[in-house]
Amino acid sequence: MDLSPVLTGFSVVFEPQNLLFCLLGVTIGMLIGVLPGLGPAATIAILLPITYNLEPVAAVIMLAGIFYGAQYGGTITSVLLKLPGEASTVVTAIDGHQLAKRGEAGSALGVAAIASFIGGTASIILLSLVAPALAGVALAFGPAEYTVLALIGIFLVGTLGSGSLIKSAAAAGAGLLLATVGLDPLLGTPRFTFGTDQLADGIDFVIVAMGLFGVGEILYNLEHRDRPQAAVPAFGRAIPSRVQWLRSRLAILRGSVVGFVLGILPGGGATMSSLVAYAVEKRSAKDPSRFGKGAIEGVAGPEAANNAAATSSFIPLLTLGIPANATMAVLFGALMLQGITPGPALMTEHPDVFWGVVNSMYLGNLLLLALSIPLIGVFVRMLKIRPGILAPITIVITMLGVYSIRNNAFDMVLAVALGLVGYAMRKLGFEPGPFVLAFVLGSLLEGSFRRSMRIFGGDVTEFVQRPLSATLVGVLVLTVVIIPVLRVVRARQVVRAAEPAEP
Amino acid sequence: MNPRPFTRRGLLAGAAAAPVAALAACNGVQGGADAAEDDFPTRAIDFTVPFDAGGSSDLLSRAVCLAAEEPLGQSIALANKPGANGAVGLKELVSGDADGYTLALAVKSLFAITPLVVDDPDAVAIDDFRIIATLTNEAYVLVVHADSPYQSLEDLVAAPSLNYGTAGVGTGGQLSLALLFGLAGTEATDVPFDGGAPAVTALLGQEIDVVSGSLAETMPQIEAGALRPLTVFSEERNVFLQDAPTATEAGYPVVVDQRRMVVAPSEVSDTVAGALVLAFEEARQDPDYQAFLQDNYMDVWEVDDVEARAHLSEAAELYAQNVADVGLALGDGS
Repeated sequence: MDLSPVLTGFSVVFEPQNLLFCLLGVTIGMLIGVLPGLGPAATIAILLPITYNLEPVAAVIMLAGIFYGAQYGGTITSVLLKLPGEASTVVTAIDGHQLAKRGEAGSALGVAAIASFIGGTASIILLSLVAPALAGVALAFGPAEYTVLALIGIFLVGTLGSGSLIKSAAAAGAGLLLATVGLDPLLGTPRFTFGTDQLADGIDFVIVAMGLFGVGEILYNLEHRDRPQAAVPAFGRAIPSRVQWLRSRLAILRGSVVGFVLGILPGGGATMSSLVAYAVEKRSAKDPSRFGKGAIEGVAGPEAANNAAATSSFIPLLTLGIPANATMAVLFGALMLQGITPGPALMTEHPDVFWGVVNSMYLGNLLLLALSIPLIGVFVRMLKIRPGILAPITIVITMLGVYSIRNNAFDMVLAVALGLVGYAMRKLGFEPGPFVLAFVLGSLLEGSFRRSMRIFGGDVTEFVQRPLSATLVGVLVLTVVIIPVLRVVRARQVVRAAEPAEP
Repeated sequence: MNPRPFTRRGLLAGAAAAPVAALAACNGVQGGADAAEDDFPTRAIDFTVPFDAGGSSDLLSRAVCLAAEEPLGQSIALANKPGANGAVGLKELVSGDADGYTLALAVKSLFAITPLVVDDPDAVAIDDFRIIATLTNEAYVLVVHADSPYQSLEDLVAAPSLNYGTAGVGTGGQLSLALLFGLAGTEATDVPFDGGAPAVTALLGQEIDVVSGSLAETMPQIEAGALRPLTVFSEERNVFLQDAPTATEAGYPVVVDQRRMVVAPSEVSDTVAGALVLAFEEARQDPDYQAFLQDNYMDVWEVDDVEARAHLSEAAELYAQNVADVGLALGDGS
């Protein structure tokens, strides 16, 4: 391939103005990532007017920085407060928060930052090399493939956490039901909207996550505030220990690949990638029972994956003009306002924009790593703040975040109501993770399945007649039926083999 | 007019722009309502975009508001308040103060198509608004994949069976194709997606046979040679796609388009509305705004309140009649 446009891209990045906006973008991104509920999409929309007077390249470099910077920042609240602001960091919260409780918050965040850096950087390299070729991957995934992918995801949700499988399944089922709220995606019939159009478009993920994790957890802790707080022993260093690094490094590599591939898919890619990365780590671990109790691989794999996915989600936008998620849609808008149409012609007509933005991500990731390591030391001190002070602050920020999604006060009421649900779930021993992930995947599953059935004329067997969806069905059967059955059979054999030895 | 200087809304706005709002409130006390109206606007204007950031309505609102700030002499603060094809944001506009400091973008489909799909007794109607400025007329274009065997509209409607993608229930794209295939008697299955971009993606991946979408969604792919336009659903050929015949030319009188406009609550006073109308008229002449329309393949629609109102109610009647003639059931509400 001709490398000159790539090199020109680097010279674009190193213009002082662009360097500055890259730094500005990633710093803003990291900060809003830390604030629970405030997402990159709302932030970019708020900052759009500022970009009117900027050069297109500088504007997009800054806005892109906010997007991937938020991925770094989001990990911090997920680990420290168990408050995931994005669907793709829900998985990180599970083991990350357990590590924080054990006093390993520093190294958990350190590993997360390094994993994010490696995942992000690996993804940019792959993007630069194969982006045009991979554009087709996004197109090969039709409704049928998304249906099977969402099904795989929903089954993987069951592997999360360390609690009872039945309770996880029940929580996931409730999440699927909540996903049906809103106008029917194919018929427009109102479902569970109680006659208000506030619920017509369904419920936003952030509202559900902030309600169940944020408000629910705080209510639960309020009840226990008289009890002496288990002292957090030490925060640990931000630099991971040798053992942690040895355990994480392969997880990071696997996560990067999983994230890059799934991130290309518009719709659910980043969430799926973190789930798949977690499942891969749990399955390949020698002792899977450590997962859910603070396994460092459970942080490293998904973090590498969601950052790799954040980067590769630029591929459909930059090569096909298809925004992969809400943030990409706002970025799409930013480019349009600058008179640049993202799409098949972008790479040839505006190579400076394409390569400038892509190459700025190397620098952005480096800056984020450099920012993260010292900042971790500051953020972990949050754990020292008395709950009586931290809880109200968290609630206020959470509510601001929820409001910012649609500028709608109704959503705050909804978050509080879901907070009560979260409190009840917590009391009864249900985990919110499976609930919110099933909620996210539920609408993907329903819409894709019903679209597939319309396209197939009602013939279910078409799912196994298309090569790609048939392959995915194979993966589904393998992971959900064959492997568990084999495991049970083997366990019985071990028991039988052990029996004669007993007296 | 509301003589009370300290309304709840005023206080809320004050939190955002305290000094300006405080001045405005003082004016209200000293000079009375009329004096305040004469030098309207004296503070920033809130503009609701009842759709998600990044979409056509959002981009158009940003472009026109940017151009209107100078003639108004005040800044315009945009906020996205999406939900139910704009109904959530517009209902809030209607229930708020009609002092001219709150405006919103509205789309034709909410008044002309949504009632055919969603049965909402509290739906906002065009009479709840004063149309400050009509902005654009955006055509729907029927596209097929470049590798598709269908070279013309005749080929397409003669197909034994088709799957067509749309941006969702109650969109102009859905209505246009449902009417076309209904008139032609083609056996076609409607596959609504969650927005225009996923529908175009599915067409690029040849999951579906045909899509009717806005030019903004389809033109980049048409120009790249990935999609082929077969017809446009407008009265006349589109300026950006001179070669594509209208459906009416081909013998199927289906005319569906999307139009966007700036609205205020209907009770807004004539003085205030006049000032706003003048400012937006000037904004529409702004070269940057016009370049934006060109870049986004949006045709202009610039008529007065009376004509716009007539167009919207005629379109609502026409669509209802069309749907009844063809015997369609759009969604479940009809």
